[in-house]
Amino acid sequence: MPPVLPFRRRRTVASNFEDLLRPQVEYLHRLAWRFTGSVADAEDLVQDVLLKLYPRARELVDIEQLRPWLARVLYRRYVDFVRERARSPIAGLAADAGGDDDPLDTLPAIKDGPEEHAERNRLRERILAALERLSPEQRAVVTMHDVEGYSLEELETILETPLGTLKSRLHRARHRLREFLPMEPFSVGERVNG
Amino acid sequence: MECHDLALQLDDYLDGRLDAVGQRSIQEHLELCPNCRRRHQHAVALQAAVRTLTAPTPHPDFVDRALSRATHAAVGSARHTRRAVLGMALAASVVLGVALGVFLATQPAPVQKVALTLEQPETVRVMFNSAKPLQAATLSLALPENLELVGYGERRELTWQTDLREGGNLLQLPLIARGTVKDELVARLSHGGSSKTFRLKIEIKNAVESGMSPVGFAELVVQPQAGGMS
Repeated sequence: MPPVLPFRRRRTVASNFEDLLRPQVEYLHRLAWRFTGSVADAEDLVQDVLLKLYPRARELVDIEQLRPWLARVLYRRYVDFVRERARSPIAGLAADAGGDDDPLDTLPAIKDGPEEHAERNRLRERILAALERLSPEQRAVVTMHDVEGYSLEELETILETPLGTLKSRLHRARHRLREFLPMEPFSVGERVNG
Repeated sequence: MECHDLALQLDDYLDGRLDAVGQRSIQEHLELCPNCRRRHQHAVALQAAVRTLTAPTPHPDFVDRALSRATHAAVGSARHTRRAVLGMALAASVVLGVALGVFLATQPAPVQKVALTLEQPETVRVMFNSAKPLQAATLSLALPENLELVGYGERRELTWQTDLREGGNLLQLPLIARGTVKDELVARLSHGGSSKTFRLKIEIKNAVESGMSPVGFAELVVQPQAGGMS
Protein backbone atom coordinates (compact mmCIF):
# COMPACT_ATOMS: atom_id res chain seq x y z
CA MET A 1 0.00 0.00 0.00
CA PRO A 2 1.63 3.28 -1.00
CA PRO A 3 2.11 5.91 1.64
CA VAL A 4 -0.54 8.55 1.14
CA LEU A 5 0.49 12.01 2.29
CA PRO A 6 -2.00 14.69 3.14
CA PHE A 7 -2.50 16.98 0.14
CA ARG A 8 -0.78 20.03 1.64
CA ARG A 9 2.25 18.04 2.75
CA ARG A 10 2.51 16.39 -0.62
CA ARG A 11 2.44 19.79 -2.25
CA THR A 12 5.25 21.00 -0.01
CA VAL A 13 7.38 17.97 -0.74
CA ALA A 14 6.77 18.40 -4.46
CA SER A 15 7.53 22.09 -4.27
CA ASN A 16 10.78 21.54 -2.35
CA PHE A 17 11.78 18.83 -4.77
CA GLU A 18 11.21 21.13 -7.71
CA ASP A 19 13.11 24.00 -6.09
CA LEU A 20 16.05 21.75 -5.43
CA LEU A 21 16.15 19.92 -8.74
CA ARG A 22 15.04 22.57 -11.21
CA PRO A 23 18.50 24.21 -11.40
CA GLN A 24 20.04 20.79 -12.03
CA VAL A 25 17.82 19.38 -14.76
CA GLU A 26 19.57 21.04 -17.69
CA TYR A 27 22.91 19.94 -16.33
CA LEU A 28 21.63 16.38 -16.01
CA HIS A 29 20.24 16.54 -19.52
CA ARG A 30 23.57 17.74 -20.87
CA LEU A 31 25.44 14.98 -19.07
CA ALA A 32 22.93 12.37 -20.17
CA TRP A 33 23.34 13.52 -23.76
CA ARG A 34 27.10 13.25 -23.47
CA PHE A 35 26.69 9.70 -22.19
CA THR A 36 24.11 8.54 -24.71
CA GLY A 37 24.63 10.80 -27.73
CA SER A 38 20.88 10.96 -28.20
CA VAL A 39 18.39 13.59 -27.12
CA ALA A 40 15.60 11.05 -26.73
CA ASP A 41 17.73 8.80 -24.57
CA ALA A 42 18.97 11.76 -22.55
CA GLU A 43 15.39 12.78 -21.81
CA ASP A 44 14.48 9.23 -20.84
CA LEU A 45 17.48 8.96 -18.55
CA VAL A 46 16.82 12.25 -16.80
CA GLN A 47 13.14 11.50 -16.43
CA ASP A 48 13.95 8.13 -14.97
CA VAL A 49 16.38 9.62 -12.48
CA LEU A 50 13.85 12.23 -11.37
CA LEU A 51 11.18 9.57 -10.94
CA LYS A 52 13.52 7.56 -8.76
CA LEU A 53 14.61 10.57 -6.72
CA TYR A 54 11.22 11.99 -5.89
CA PRO A 55 10.32 9.39 -3.26
CA ARG A 56 13.60 10.39 -1.55
CA ALA A 57 12.90 14.09 -1.86
CA ARG A 58 13.41 14.82 1.82
CA GLU A 59 16.84 13.17 1.85
CA LEU A 60 18.07 15.38 -0.97
CA VAL A 61 18.08 18.48 1.22
CA ASP A 62 20.87 17.03 3.33
CA ILE A 63 23.20 16.31 0.44
CA GLU A 64 26.03 18.82 0.53
CA GLN A 65 27.39 18.46 -2.99
CA LEU A 66 24.19 17.86 -4.88
CA ARG A 67 25.48 18.19 -8.43
CA PRO A 68 28.24 15.55 -8.27
CA TRP A 69 25.90 13.35 -6.28
CA LEU A 70 23.29 13.65 -9.03
CA ALA A 71 25.94 12.95 -11.63
CA ARG A 72 26.70 9.72 -9.80
CA VAL A 73 23.03 8.74 -9.72
CA LEU A 74 22.72 9.53 -13.41
CA TYR A 75 25.82 7.54 -14.26
CA ARG A 76 24.55 4.51 -12.35
CA ARG A 77 21.25 4.73 -14.15
CA TYR A 78 23.07 5.10 -17.44
CA VAL A 79 25.03 1.91 -16.81
CA ASP A 80 21.77 0.10 -16.01
CA PHE A 81 20.24 1.59 -19.12
CA VAL A 82 23.10 0.26 -21.23
CA ARG A 83 22.77 -3.19 -19.70
CA GLU A 84 19.07 -3.19 -20.40
CA ARG A 85 19.84 -2.33 -23.98
CA ALA A 86 22.45 -5.05 -24.16
CA ARG A 87 19.88 -7.65 -23.24
CA SER A 88 17.14 -6.04 -25.30
CA PRO A 89 14.87 -8.32 -27.26
CA ILE A 90 16.23 -6.96 -30.47
CA ALA A 91 19.43 -8.84 -29.79
CA GLY A 92 17.63 -11.93 -30.98
CA LEU A 93 17.09 -10.23 -34.29
CA ALA A 94 20.67 -9.57 -35.14
CA ALA A 95 22.35 -12.48 -36.83
CA ASP A 96 25.74 -11.30 -35.75
CA ALA A 97 26.29 -8.17 -33.71
CA GLY A 98 30.01 -8.20 -34.43
CA GLY A 99 32.48 -9.36 -31.84
CA ASP A 100 34.29 -7.17 -29.38
CA ASP A 101 35.97 -7.64 -26.05
CA ASP A 102 33.46 -5.52 -24.26
CA PRO A 103 29.86 -6.65 -24.73
CA LEU A 104 28.72 -3.12 -24.01
CA ASP A 105 30.59 -1.98 -27.10
CA THR A 106 28.19 -3.90 -29.30
CA LEU A 107 25.17 -1.90 -28.31
CA PRO A 108 23.01 -0.92 -31.21
CA ALA A 109 23.44 2.75 -31.86
CA ILE A 110 20.46 5.03 -31.76
CA LYS A 111 20.34 7.65 -34.46
CA ASP A 112 19.43 11.21 -33.72
CA GLY A 113 16.65 12.91 -35.55
CA PRO A 114 17.29 14.39 -38.97
CA GLU A 115 17.08 17.97 -37.70
CA GLU A 116 19.87 17.40 -35.23
CA HIS A 117 21.94 15.73 -37.93
CA ALA A 118 21.47 18.71 -40.20
CA GLU A 119 22.81 21.05 -37.51
CA ARG A 120 26.01 19.17 -37.08
CA ASN A 121 28.98 20.16 -39.10
CA ARG A 122 31.18 17.52 -40.60
CA LEU A 123 33.78 17.59 -37.87
CA ARG A 124 31.23 17.46 -35.13
CA GLU A 125 29.59 14.46 -36.78
CA ARG A 126 32.87 12.65 -36.98
CA ILE A 127 33.72 13.30 -33.36
CA LEU A 128 30.31 12.20 -32.19
CA ALA A 129 30.55 9.07 -34.30
CA ALA A 130 33.92 8.33 -32.77
CA LEU A 131 32.59 8.86 -29.25
CA GLU A 132 29.75 6.48 -29.99
CA ARG A 133 32.26 3.79 -30.75
CA LEU A 134 33.72 3.99 -27.26
CA SER A 135 32.41 1.76 -24.52
CA PRO A 136 29.96 3.50 -22.16
CA GLU A 137 32.57 3.61 -19.43
CA GLN A 138 35.18 5.13 -21.72
CA ARG A 139 32.71 7.61 -23.05
CA ALA A 140 31.72 8.67 -19.56
CA VAL A 141 35.27 9.25 -18.40
CA VAL A 142 36.40 11.09 -21.52
CA THR A 143 33.39 13.39 -21.64
CA MET A 144 33.30 14.10 -17.92
CA HIS A 145 37.05 14.70 -17.75
CA ASP A 146 37.88 16.31 -21.07
CA VAL A 147 34.60 18.12 -21.71
CA GLU A 148 32.94 18.74 -18.35
CA GLY A 149 36.26 19.35 -16.65
CA TYR A 150 35.99 16.98 -13.70
CA SER A 151 39.33 15.88 -12.30
CA LEU A 152 40.10 12.18 -12.12
CA GLU A 153 40.00 12.46 -8.34
CA GLU A 154 36.46 13.82 -8.50
CA LEU A 155 35.50 11.11 -10.96
CA GLU A 156 36.73 8.49 -8.52
CA THR A 157 33.71 9.35 -6.40
CA ILE A 158 31.22 10.11 -9.14
CA LEU A 159 31.94 7.06 -11.24
CA GLU A 160 32.79 4.94 -8.19
CA THR A 161 35.91 3.69 -9.91
CA PRO A 162 39.51 3.56 -8.62
CA LEU A 163 41.91 6.23 -9.87
CA GLY A 164 44.17 3.73 -11.63
CA THR A 165 41.27 2.25 -13.56
CA LEU A 166 40.07 5.70 -14.52
CA LYS A 167 43.51 6.69 -15.78
CA SER A 168 43.84 3.61 -17.95
CA ARG A 169 40.25 3.97 -19.14
CA LEU A 170 40.88 7.59 -20.12
CA HIS A 171 44.11 6.62 -21.83
CA ARG A 172 42.36 3.89 -23.82
CA ALA A 173 39.46 6.16 -24.69
CA ARG A 174 41.73 8.88 -26.04
CA HIS A 175 43.84 6.35 -27.87
CA ARG A 176 40.75 4.96 -29.57
CA LEU A 177 39.52 8.43 -30.46
CA ARG A 178 42.85 9.19 -32.08
CA GLU A 179 42.57 5.97 -34.04
CA PHE A 180 39.03 6.71 -35.13
CA LEU A 181 39.89 10.30 -36.02
CA PRO A 182 43.13 10.27 -37.98
CA MET A 183 45.53 13.16 -38.33
CA GLU A 184 44.14 14.71 -41.49
CA PRO A 185 41.35 16.92 -40.13
CA PHE A 186 43.48 17.90 -37.15
CA SER A 187 46.68 18.47 -39.05
CA VAL A 188 49.45 20.72 -37.82
CA GLY A 189 48.61 24.37 -37.87
CA GLU A 190 44.88 23.87 -38.33
CA ARG A 191 42.73 25.77 -35.92
CA VAL A 192 39.90 23.87 -34.35
CA ASN A 193 37.16 26.17 -33.32
CA GLY A 194 33.65 25.56 -32.08
CA MET B 1 63.31 9.46 -23.98
CA GLU B 2 62.10 7.17 -26.75
CA CYS B 3 58.97 7.66 -28.85
CA HIS B 4 57.36 4.72 -27.08
CA ASP B 5 57.87 6.44 -23.70
CA LEU B 6 56.28 9.60 -25.00
CA ALA B 7 53.25 7.70 -26.24
CA LEU B 8 52.80 6.24 -22.77
CA GLN B 9 53.16 9.56 -20.98
CA LEU B 10 51.37 11.79 -23.44
CA ASP B 11 48.06 11.82 -21.55
CA ASP B 12 49.72 12.64 -18.25
CA TYR B 13 51.59 15.42 -20.01
CA LEU B 14 48.39 16.80 -21.54
CA ASP B 15 46.67 16.70 -18.16
CA GLY B 16 49.59 18.35 -16.34
CA ARG B 17 50.15 15.28 -14.21
CA LEU B 18 53.89 15.04 -14.77
CA ASP B 19 56.48 16.56 -12.47
CA ALA B 20 58.89 19.20 -13.78
CA VAL B 21 61.51 16.65 -14.80
CA GLY B 22 58.97 14.56 -16.69
CA GLN B 23 57.59 17.59 -18.47
CA ARG B 24 61.02 18.79 -19.49
CA SER B 25 61.88 15.36 -20.79
CA ILE B 26 58.77 15.34 -22.98
CA GLN B 27 59.39 18.87 -24.24
CA GLU B 28 62.95 18.05 -25.20
CA HIS B 29 61.82 14.98 -27.11
CA LEU B 30 59.10 16.94 -28.88
CA GLU B 31 61.64 19.46 -30.10
CA LEU B 32 63.74 16.73 -31.63
CA CYS B 33 61.14 14.32 -33.00
CA PRO B 34 58.76 15.50 -35.75
CA ASN B 35 56.65 12.34 -35.54
CA CYS B 36 55.99 12.76 -31.84
CA ARG B 37 55.40 16.46 -32.39
CA ARG B 38 52.64 15.59 -34.85
CA ARG B 39 51.26 13.02 -32.45
CA HIS B 40 51.19 15.63 -29.68
CA GLN B 41 49.60 18.26 -31.87
CA HIS B 42 46.99 15.80 -33.04
CA ALA B 43 46.17 14.91 -29.45
CA VAL B 44 45.89 18.55 -28.42
CA ALA B 45 43.74 19.45 -31.41
CA LEU B 46 41.49 16.48 -30.90
CA GLN B 47 41.04 17.27 -27.24
CA ALA B 48 40.15 20.85 -28.12
CA ALA B 49 37.68 19.66 -30.73
CA VAL B 50 35.98 17.31 -28.28
CA ARG B 51 35.68 20.19 -25.82
CA THR B 52 33.80 22.24 -28.38
CA LEU B 53 30.98 19.72 -28.61
CA THR B 54 28.04 21.62 -27.30
CA ALA B 55 25.15 19.59 -26.01
CA PRO B 56 21.75 20.36 -27.51
CA THR B 57 19.56 22.36 -25.20
CA PRO B 58 16.58 20.47 -23.88
CA HIS B 59 13.16 21.06 -25.36
CA PRO B 60 11.77 24.32 -23.89
CA ASP B 61 9.21 22.58 -21.73
CA PHE B 62 11.34 19.58 -20.84
CA VAL B 63 12.35 20.79 -17.37
CA ASP B 64 8.77 21.55 -16.36
CA ARG B 65 7.47 18.37 -17.91
CA ALA B 66 10.10 16.14 -16.33
CA LEU B 67 9.67 17.64 -12.87
CA SER B 68 5.92 17.51 -13.12
CA ARG B 69 5.95 13.87 -14.15
CA ALA B 70 8.28 12.99 -11.31
CA THR B 71 6.17 14.65 -8.67
CA HIS B 72 2.82 13.51 -10.02
CA ALA B 73 3.81 9.95 -10.81
CA ALA B 74 4.67 9.08 -7.21
CA VAL B 75 1.22 8.02 -6.07
CA GLY B 76 0.13 6.52 -9.34
CA SER B 77 3.27 4.50 -9.83
CA ALA B 78 3.23 2.89 -6.42
CA ARG B 79 0.96 0.17 -7.76
CA HIS B 80 3.70 -0.81 -10.18
CA THR B 81 6.22 -1.61 -7.51
CA ARG B 82 5.86 -5.31 -8.03
CA ARG B 83 8.50 -5.62 -10.69
CA ALA B 84 8.92 -8.53 -12.98
CA VAL B 85 12.29 -10.18 -12.68
CA LEU B 86 14.26 -10.80 -15.81
CA GLY B 87 15.06 -14.39 -16.35
CA MET B 88 12.00 -15.67 -14.57
CA ALA B 89 9.98 -18.35 -16.23
CA LEU B 90 7.82 -16.90 -18.92
CA ALA B 91 4.45 -18.50 -18.93
CA ALA B 92 3.36 -18.53 -22.48
CA SER B 93 4.43 -17.60 -25.92
CA VAL B 94 2.85 -16.53 -29.12
CA VAL B 95 4.58 -16.37 -32.44
CA LEU B 96 3.58 -13.83 -34.99
CA GLY B 97 5.11 -14.29 -38.37
CA VAL B 98 5.67 -11.08 -40.26
CA ALA B 99 6.59 -11.59 -43.87
CA LEU B 100 8.56 -8.57 -44.92
CA GLY B 101 8.66 -9.59 -48.56
CA VAL B 102 9.69 -6.66 -50.68
CA PHE B 103 9.07 -4.40 -47.72
CA LEU B 104 6.61 -2.26 -49.58
CA ALA B 105 3.62 -4.57 -49.76
CA THR B 106 0.42 -2.60 -49.86
CA GLN B 107 -2.02 -4.87 -48.09
CA PRO B 108 -3.11 -3.56 -44.74
CA ALA B 109 -2.03 -5.53 -41.72
CA PRO B 110 -4.82 -7.18 -39.81
CA VAL B 111 -4.53 -6.49 -36.12
CA GLN B 112 -3.28 -9.56 -34.28
CA LYS B 113 -4.42 -10.45 -30.80
CA VAL B 114 -2.48 -11.80 -27.88
CA ALA B 115 -3.92 -12.76 -24.50
CA LEU B 116 -1.87 -12.02 -21.40
CA THR B 117 -2.49 -12.67 -17.73
CA LEU B 118 -2.34 -9.66 -15.45
CA GLU B 119 1.00 -9.13 -13.71
CA GLN B 120 2.46 -12.20 -15.36
CA PRO B 121 5.30 -11.83 -17.85
CA GLU B 122 4.76 -13.59 -21.12
CA THR B 123 6.86 -13.61 -24.22
CA VAL B 124 5.39 -12.57 -27.50
CA ARG B 125 7.61 -13.72 -30.29
CA VAL B 126 7.51 -11.97 -33.60
CA MET B 127 9.14 -13.66 -36.53
CA PHE B 128 10.27 -11.30 -39.25
CA ASN B 129 10.85 -13.08 -42.52
CA SER B 130 13.03 -10.91 -44.66
CA ALA B 131 13.59 -11.59 -48.34
CA LYS B 132 17.07 -10.13 -48.13
CA PRO B 133 19.57 -9.00 -45.50
CA LEU B 134 18.84 -5.51 -44.15
CA GLN B 135 21.57 -3.49 -42.55
CA ALA B 136 20.74 -1.02 -39.80
CA ALA B 137 16.99 -1.36 -39.82
CA THR B 138 15.24 0.62 -37.10
CA LEU B 139 12.63 -1.02 -34.93
CA SER B 140 10.39 1.21 -32.84
CA LEU B 141 7.87 0.05 -30.29
CA ALA B 142 5.06 2.13 -28.89
CA LEU B 143 3.66 0.47 -25.80
CA PRO B 144 0.13 1.32 -24.70
CA GLU B 145 -0.71 2.26 -21.16
CA ASN B 146 -0.57 -0.62 -18.67
CA LEU B 147 1.71 -2.69 -20.87
CA GLU B 148 5.41 -2.93 -20.05
CA LEU B 149 8.36 -4.48 -21.78
CA VAL B 150 10.08 -6.36 -18.97
CA GLY B 151 13.22 -4.53 -17.87
CA TYR B 152 12.17 -1.18 -19.31
CA GLY B 153 9.86 -0.02 -16.56
CA GLU B 154 7.23 2.39 -17.72
CA ARG B 155 8.96 3.52 -20.88
CA ARG B 156 6.42 3.78 -23.64
CA GLU B 157 8.62 4.51 -26.65
CA LEU B 158 11.56 2.29 -27.46
CA THR B 159 13.83 2.24 -30.48
CA TRP B 160 16.62 -0.04 -31.56
CA GLN B 161 18.78 -0.27 -34.60
CA THR B 162 19.68 -3.71 -35.83
CA ASP B 163 20.57 -5.85 -38.80
CA LEU B 164 18.17 -8.39 -40.22
CA ARG B 165 19.43 -11.46 -41.93
CA GLU B 166 17.79 -13.12 -44.88
CA GLY B 167 15.05 -15.47 -43.71
CA GLY B 168 13.70 -15.71 -40.19
CA ASN B 169 14.61 -13.18 -37.54
CA LEU B 170 13.07 -13.78 -34.15
CA LEU B 171 12.18 -10.84 -31.96
CA GLN B 172 11.26 -11.75 -28.40
CA LEU B 173 9.17 -9.31 -26.45
CA PRO B 174 8.74 -10.19 -22.78
CA LEU B 175 5.58 -8.26 -21.94
CA ILE B 176 3.71 -7.75 -18.72
CA ALA B 177 0.23 -6.30 -18.40
CA ARG B 178 -0.29 -4.12 -15.34
CA GLY B 179 -3.96 -3.49 -15.98
CA THR B 180 -6.49 -3.34 -18.75
CA VAL B 181 -4.75 -2.54 -22.01
CA LYS B 182 -7.03 -0.47 -24.16
CA ASP B 183 -4.75 0.51 -26.99
CA GLU B 184 -2.64 -1.60 -29.29
CA LEU B 185 1.07 -2.21 -29.22
CA VAL B 186 2.49 -0.67 -32.35
CA ALA B 187 5.77 -1.84 -33.82
CA ARG B 188 7.35 -0.17 -36.78
CA LEU B 189 10.26 -1.43 -38.79
CA SER B 190 12.00 1.16 -40.93
CA HIS B 191 14.76 0.88 -43.44
CA GLY B 192 16.02 3.17 -46.14
CA GLY B 193 13.11 5.59 -45.98
CA SER B 194 10.42 2.88 -45.99
CA SER B 195 8.64 1.47 -43.04
CA LYS B 196 6.18 -1.21 -42.06
CA THR B 197 3.87 -1.08 -39.14
CA PHE B 198 2.12 -3.88 -37.36
CA ARG B 199 -0.28 -3.71 -34.47
CA LEU B 200 -0.95 -6.07 -31.66
CA LYS B 201 -4.09 -6.01 -29.58
CA ILE B 202 -3.60 -7.13 -26.00
CA GLU B 203 -6.40 -8.94 -24.24
CA ILE B 204 -6.40 -9.87 -20.59
CA LYS B 205 -7.15 -13.45 -19.70
CA ASN B 206 -9.19 -14.12 -16.63
CA ALA B 207 -7.50 -16.08 -13.86
CA VAL B 208 -9.52 -19.27 -14.30
CA GLU B 209 -8.95 -19.46 -17.99
CA SER B 210 -5.26 -18.72 -17.74
CA GLY B 211 -4.81 -21.26 -14.99
CA MET B 212 -6.43 -24.03 -16.97
CA SER B 213 -5.20 -23.41 -20.44
CA PRO B 214 -1.98 -21.57 -21.09
CA VAL B 215 -1.59 -19.95 -24.45
CA GLY B 216 -0.11 -22.33 -26.94
CA PHE B 217 2.50 -21.80 -29.55
CA ALA B 218 0.55 -20.29 -32.39
CA GLU B 219 2.01 -19.17 -35.62
CA LEU B 220 0.29 -16.42 -37.48
CA VAL B 221 1.34 -14.83 -40.69
CA VAL B 222 0.43 -11.26 -41.28
CA GLN B 223 1.01 -9.05 -44.23
CA PRO B 224 2.17 -5.78 -42.75
CA GLN B 225 0.89 -2.57 -44.17
CA ALA B 226 3.13 -0.28 -46.11
CA GLY B 227 3.79 3.37 -45.63
CA GLY B 228 3.43 5.22 -42.40
CA MET B 229 6.65 6.94 -43.25
CA SER B 230 8.08 8.88 -40.42
